Amino acid sequence: MAEYDEIAGKLTFKLVYYGPALSGKTTNLMRLHDLVAAELKGELMTLETQNDRTLFFDLLPLGFRAPSGLLVKFKLFTVPGQVAHDGTRKAVLSRADGVVFVADSQRSQSANNGESFQNLMDNLQRVGLDMERLPLVVQFNKRDLPNILSEQEVHERWGGAPWPVTFASAVAGAGVVETFDMLLRAVYRHAENDYALAARHQLSEQDFVAAAIMAPVK
Amino acid sequence: MSEECFDHDFSLDDLLPQAERDRLRSALAVLLGAPFCLLDTQGIPLPCETEVAGERVPLVLELEPVGYLKCSCGDANRQRAAKVLVEMLLRNAARYRMASRLHVESVRADYEALQIKHSALQQSEARFRALSATLEQRVNEQVKTIEGTQRQLYQAEKMASVGQLAAGVAHEINNPIGFIRSNLNSARGYVQQLAELEPIIKARDANQLADVWQKKQFDGLLEDFSDLLQESISGADRVARIVADLKSFSSVDRGGVENADLNDCIRSVCNVASVHAAGHARIELELEALPKLNCNAGHINQALMNILLNAIKAIKENGRIVVRSKVANREIVISISDNGAGIPSDVLPRIFDPFFTTHDVGQGTGLGLSVCRDIIIAHGGRIEVESESGQGTTFVIYLPIPA
Repeated sequence: MAEYDEIAGKLTFKLVYYGPALSGKTTNLMRLHDLVAAELKGELMTLETQNDRTLFFDLLPLGFRAPSGLLVKFKLFTVPGQVAHDGTRKAVLSRADGVVFVADSQRSQSANNGESFQNLMDNLQRVGLDMERLPLVVQFNKRDLPNILSEQEVHERWGGAPWPVTFASAVAGAGVVETFDMLLRAVYRHAENDYALAARHQLSEQDFVAAAIMAPVK
Repeated sequence: MSEECFDHDFSLDDLLPQAERDRLRSALAVLLGAPFCLLDTQGIPLPCETEVAGERVPLVLELEPVGYLKCSCGDANRQRAAKVLVEMLLRNAARYRMASRLHVESVRADYEALQIKHSALQQSEARFRALSATLEQRVNEQVKTIEGTQRQLYQAEKMASVGQLAAGVAHEINNPIGFIRSNLNSARGYVQQLAELEPIIKARDANQLADVWQKKQFDGLLEDFSDLLQESISGADRVARIVADLKSFSSVDRGGVENADLNDCIRSVCNVASVHAAGHARIELELEALPKLNCNAGHINQALMNILLNAIKAIKENGRIVVRSKVANREIVISISDNGAGIPSDVLPRIFDPFFTTHDVGQGTGLGLSVCRDIIIAHGGRIEVESESGQGTTFVIYLPIPA
């Protein structure tokens, strides 16, 4: 459930990039920071150890003003992927309004992807989020590497799941915005009923996505 | 959203602790060179700040202002430089706050997870403890049942061999008793004949006495009477000896552990067993002097008897059983060899198994050699067997001599 501050006229969405260690969650945020031209774009705040491994989280704030004057704010977080940091993952995940699961396309990482996805499902349950309703996009990253699962294989494996699947090469920036776009649409549809975005704030799905990614709403 | 959440939006007041704020104020005063104040998002001065006139610039933390810096210096460059510095300070403070709050949250989450695991472990430990407690009790009950059954079986085996012995012993005792009774009958006749002399002796008629003595052949009668008594005495001795051997074999007059000469055991057992061997096998003893051994002689006798009876059964005719005893390597070695049928090689590995028997139903419990081995093991010893079909069998018992 997004956080709505009526006095400040502010609606904040918490979006979490989840996935196994070294699957490219932080890289997704870095590229989004470069590629997205939202009206409001904060600095990327990272908290990493010496080995460039995320210790607590990364945070990228994005936002825009709706025609109604409502400030729509997105806080994009990453979680630490290493198994040991489960408490941190759970804390970052709590109250999330949308999740991108960043999987590693390399064949050797299939087991890690599976474990991490199961961990996501377990933690969603622990923090009281409904996995049936929560906006979730599965991104298969690192398409530029050799020895990866083919798109057909990925579709065969994930075809039965209710979540959309995207492909990306975050290092090159490919697929990163598309993934974010897909998540934003799901988040809009989920929030539309609760906040009457179209009726009260003159904000259509198309405007919502466009404003977050490309340019201010006219 | 709770104030405790790590991603809760911070206010300017949150991010500038009083002590740091004072130092920041002195630095800003130098930098700006004019009165200034910090305002919150509503444009209201922070606590302990005094409103001043002048331009205000927003202090942006993420996307939107968390407050404003208002200054009367009129120098936009200076004011922008101050804004950049304060924003850097705020961002670092926010970063630190978020990290520390997240740390607290994750530690709490980990701790809760640990506590849940801990209580699950405690529950399962309690379950296993309860199970192990009853398990031990159940095992003990089973052991008691098995021990009871085993005692009954051993008793049955003992009774069976005693029964076998009894048949042979009865025969052996019956024979002397038969001739003793017949002798006594004859003796009664002799006594009646001697009684006829009484009137003649009382009349003191020497001539008639000599005549009757001669006629009735009393010389021969006396001689025969004497022989017959002698024979009866040896018969009674024989019965007495058999009873003594039997008693000694069954140890009815002894109990438990005693300091025994195993050669005595061998002798008494062989005497009893020879009853069964009579006619088709002879038992030879080649015994060397043995040190006395603390043992349950009754049990040792039973073991020896079981082996001897098997040896006797294995012999059809003209058999020979040799029992040897000696001391070697601090052990008493007793070997029992027969030249009987031998044990087939497929049967040999199983002869000590309980209930394994080659005899017909009713002829043995199948426990004889099993009991035999148990007795020897109980004395710290071991039993070995060598056999060749058609050539005979040798059992060797080793019993350690305590140092």
